[in-house]
Amino acid sequence: MLLDVTNLTVSYDKAVLLNNISMHVDEGELVSMVGPNGAGKSTLLRTISGLVAWEKEITRRSTQGDIIIKGSVIFNGERMDQIPANEIVKKGLIHCPERRRPFREMTVLDNLMAGAYLMKDKIQTQENLDQVYQLFPVLHGRSKQISGTLSGGEQQMLAVGRALMSTPKLLCIDEPSTGLAPMMRDEVFKKIMEIKKLGITILLVEQEVKMVFTMTTRNYVLSSGKIIAEGTGDQLLQDEIIRKTYLGL
Amino acid sequence: MILLDIFITGLISGSTYALLAIGFSIIFGAARIVNLAHTAFYMVASYCIYLVSTKMGIHPGWGMIMAVILVTLLGTIAYQIVINPIREHHGAVLIATIALAMAFQEIMTLIFKSSYLSVPALIKGFVPILGVKVFYQQILTFGAAFVVMGGLWILLMETRAGLAIRATAQDREVANLMGINESRIAMLATAISVGLAGFAGAIVVPLTVINPRMWEHPLIMMMAVVVLGGLGSLKGSFVGAYILGFAESLVVFLIPAGAFLKGSVALSIMILVLLIRPDGLFGVSFEEER
Repeated sequence: MLLDVTNLTVSYDKAVLLNNISMHVDEGELVSMVGPNGAGKSTLLRTISGLVAWEKEITRRSTQGDIIIKGSVIFNGERMDQIPANEIVKKGLIHCPERRRPFREMTVLDNLMAGAYLMKDKIQTQENLDQVYQLFPVLHGRSKQISGTLSGGEQQMLAVGRALMSTPKLLCIDEPSTGLAPMMRDEVFKKIMEIKKLGITILLVEQEVKMVFTMTTRNYVLSSGKIIAEGTGDQLLQDEIIRKTYLGL
Repeated sequence: MILLDIFITGLISGSTYALLAIGFSIIFGAARIVNLAHTAFYMVASYCIYLVSTKMGIHPGWGMIMAVILVTLLGTIAYQIVINPIREHHGAVLIATIALAMAFQEIMTLIFKSSYLSVPALIKGFVPILGVKVFYQQILTFGAAFVVMGGLWILLMETRAGLAIRATAQDREVANLMGINESRIAMLATAISVGLAGFAGAIVVPLTVINPRMWEHPLIMMMAVVVLGGLGSLKGSFVGAYILGFAESLVVFLIPAGAFLKGSVALSIMILVLLIRPDGLFGVSFEEER
């Protein structure tokens, strides 16, 4: 198992956002995490990548309620829940956040170089850059452009490209299709399949269930902070209760 | 040639405000700290040079180097002890930094008394340009300010640390996801910022008088510059500083008894900007934090 999450519970003050979650991702898989808004999908990714722990650290002495994290996150045989977010990146677990979040005032190239911040090897960095440009030719043409002026789809490509710059083993992508036109959305999903073919394991959080189920090896359905179903796309779609209640299909 | 006088005075004070405001913006951007003690470090640097050159009789050039190093160290220590534990509470940071500034003021008053002191120019003499005496020290101050701002630009735009500072300033949370140690970058930004304040003090000290309250006027000017240029924008700080520098020198030279109105220039501009364009000239949008 590349990623193994066991009995993970996360609560903000008294609100329980993740309730005793166990899930895993094997090497080479493309696993999706689907479910309604507010189910805790983003919180799960944020916990895995250490952002929730970081938030806990910076709000430690504030008057807001406490953030509590229980359970374990094991990646590649190492505990991730006890090291800071910026060191988790070093292990090859990369989180591409919700709403893309490019560094808006910086150029496309600077964004990509920020993604390669931890890369010591200049040759490897150049190879990654070539790979990203090959995958997203549009970024190559716009490398000197300020990223805030890119279109939504291009910003999503940039966010994924930036994540790829650090040579990830596992790429966690949070809602890449949100706010994109249908054509752009298909384009983004096509690119995700291409990334999988490069041998990178992917954990994908999405709302576009129909599309995603045709791509994935396995899926988890999350609702109100609990995993309520797991299986291949076909298996989940056959279950009428899950289909109607949680997937809205 | 009063115009040339106005120009030179504006250029010198503009450069000082630019150095101060850029430092202030860097620490605000990368660490989200509104450091009201910023100009107090500028004052400490001035006293340090006075001590070295006048009391100890060493060349003021050495005093300047020592001042920058000492102030940077002092700022880093103050950051660790005073600011870092309360960094996430913006109100508390305001109170703590103004307290820090007042503490420095009182310490300097205790040691040096509240008299006006001065430091000799690094290079003596002047060159007459269009009938106006332009002191070598003025040219030196202006040149040094420009060289340092150029160096800072290269540091920010061309180096790995600069990239990390810019990324952290834009989105502190996502910076973590790049593998950037956000709290270490905040400390680095503090050191650079305070170092700049020290440097501003060092190059301007031969042109001004030293006293324990010399931090107050630049603080107000610097805040006005930042409001005018747009909070968090280095370009805005740079442009705003020169606009205010020239505005101030115009008022001082052209209006009778203008020197008394010096303080009101900054505040008037601040009010105008807040009324007309609250984002400032180059307002930067920050990624809101969850």
